[in-house]
Amino acid sequence: MQSCLEANFSKTLGNFHLNVSLYLGEEIGVLFGPSGAGKSLTLNVLAGLVKPDRGKITLRGRILYDSASSVFLKPAARKIGLVFQELALFPHLSAIENVAYGLKEPNKWQLAKEWLDKMRLSGLYERMPHQLSGGQKQRVALARALAPKPDLLLLDEPFSALEGPMRRALRRELKNLFLEIKIPTLYVTHDVEDVCSLATKVFLIRDGSITATIDANKLWDPQSQENVWHSLGWGTLIQGEIIMEEGNHWFRWPEGKLKLLQPTSPARGKATVFIPPEHIKLLYPDLPVDPELKPNAMEGKIIERIEMNHLVRLYIHSAGIEWHTEHPKDSYSTLNLNEGQNVSFSVKPSMIYVLTEECDPPK
Amino acid sequence: MRPSFIISLKVLAVDVPILFFIGTLMGWTLAKKQFKGRAIVDTLVVLPIVLPPSVLGLYLLMTLSHIPFIRESRILFSFPAAALAPLFPSLPIMIQAAKSGFCSVDERLEQAARTLGDNELKVFCRVTFPLTRSSLMAGLALASMRALGDFGVTLMIAGNIPGRTQTLPLYIYSRVEAMKFFEANLAALLLTILGIASLSIVKKLEGKHAELS
Repeated sequence: MQSCLEANFSKTLGNFHLNVSLYLGEEIGVLFGPSGAGKSLTLNVLAGLVKPDRGKITLRGRILYDSASSVFLKPAARKIGLVFQELALFPHLSAIENVAYGLKEPNKWQLAKEWLDKMRLSGLYERMPHQLSGGQKQRVALARALAPKPDLLLLDEPFSALEGPMRRALRRELKNLFLEIKIPTLYVTHDVEDVCSLATKVFLIRDGSITATIDANKLWDPQSQENVWHSLGWGTLIQGEIIMEEGNHWFRWPEGKLKLLQPTSPARGKATVFIPPEHIKLLYPDLPVDPELKPNAMEGKIIERIEMNHLVRLYIHSAGIEWHTEHPKDSYSTLNLNEGQNVSFSVKPSMIYVLTEECDPPK
Repeated sequence: MRPSFIISLKVLAVDVPILFFIGTLMGWTLAKKQFKGRAIVDTLVVLPIVLPPSVLGLYLLMTLSHIPFIRESRILFSFPAAALAPLFPSLPIMIQAAKSGFCSVDERLEQAARTLGDNELKVFCRVTFPLTRSSLMAGLALASMRALGDFGVTLMIAGNIPGRTQTLPLYIYSRVEAMKFFEANLAALLLTILGIASLSIVKKLEGKHAELS
């Protein structure tokens, strides 16, 4: 596939170094990695909101930035649609005024209406952002970014504030929309489900660098999947087998087992599971445990603690596995989480991703 | 009382547009722009609020009387001085209100406008200003009332000349000195009513601002 976006740039902010090299055709690229990896900064640089230190960015042959020839196109001239994590709908404008904001055509109100209709928001034209539900706001933000027909669409974890079913529905809509309008799209996420459902290409980013670019089909290739998931370098990856016990599906490895969501695919046999770090929950010894967490509760010893800006990463050794957890700094403040301490932790069955040939995220 | 009331209205007619434009510009600059010496400017801007009006008036008198143009054109102790004097204690109120209003605008909204094709002027007119309008108007109402009620600075650089520089607060002072309490009370009542009216406008605008943010 021919590249529409070619970006090679670096940017240093304080102690953080971002070094990005990515090529994107008419496809959905997912920029996937942990919090603090540089995902949002990458989008801001591409959108022109942050000027890189050096490098070159071209979009459909147009030079957006080139440090060698001192070219830096301002965001207004880039023709790039950006949907912010917080959506950033203009609070003083109605839904239709938000969508028409970037349109210059004489029939802009008609076009804005058509976009809102396409997003299933007919009849809500005059609603103010605070009168819209979370999902409706997402659609307005998406329509606003797409209405001026951008050459590239950037999405910064747009569904992060939504609950499961709404999130899945919007993701499906986004995919259908992409198939219809075919705008190169770069989608930032740290959610495995987003990768599964949307990506045609996955850029793994960690500590400011793109560590791998993977064709989405390869993610589920049994021959290569372990390498792919290992190259993420974060999260917990376990090899074992799926078994049936007392009518439930379990994932078992020599030193332990985890209850899975019913039913699983494959139903039995060898498998690999992936658990994102934010889904491993620490348990308070004196408090009742969430029934969903109870079957998978385990004891372990903290072997490493890393403090980042707003996050604490823990590596816990338990049942022969090094479990990787991540939580906001102000969480679990009453627990002693120093290296060498024993802790209880668990993971909900719905948050264990069974890696198979076909993407099968929890329903 | 009528001549003093008319002089006060004239002072407001001169000061309100100046307060609005300079206050908005400085508030925006202090909220959105990074420049060398910003902290010093920030402090200097607030200084007139904490200085006693007589001290501020004295500094102004000393400074202005040494500027040849001002000395020769006899601006001091004339209406232009009466119009200029209230700006010094009231402008910081407007600047602070504008600054906090501009700071409260989510930067991502401005960034979104930029990605949708707006240049900086358009971003200001279409996003920043509409979202700050209530704060600016509330600041303008408070600063205007402070200007209307100024006594110390006006007395120091414009004097208390009936029919020329005597504003309502100076009129009240003169009436009390002459033991004419009825007229003093009448003028005080007028200023009080105007004060309550401006406060109710401020409250209403603050509610509107909270709704938008």
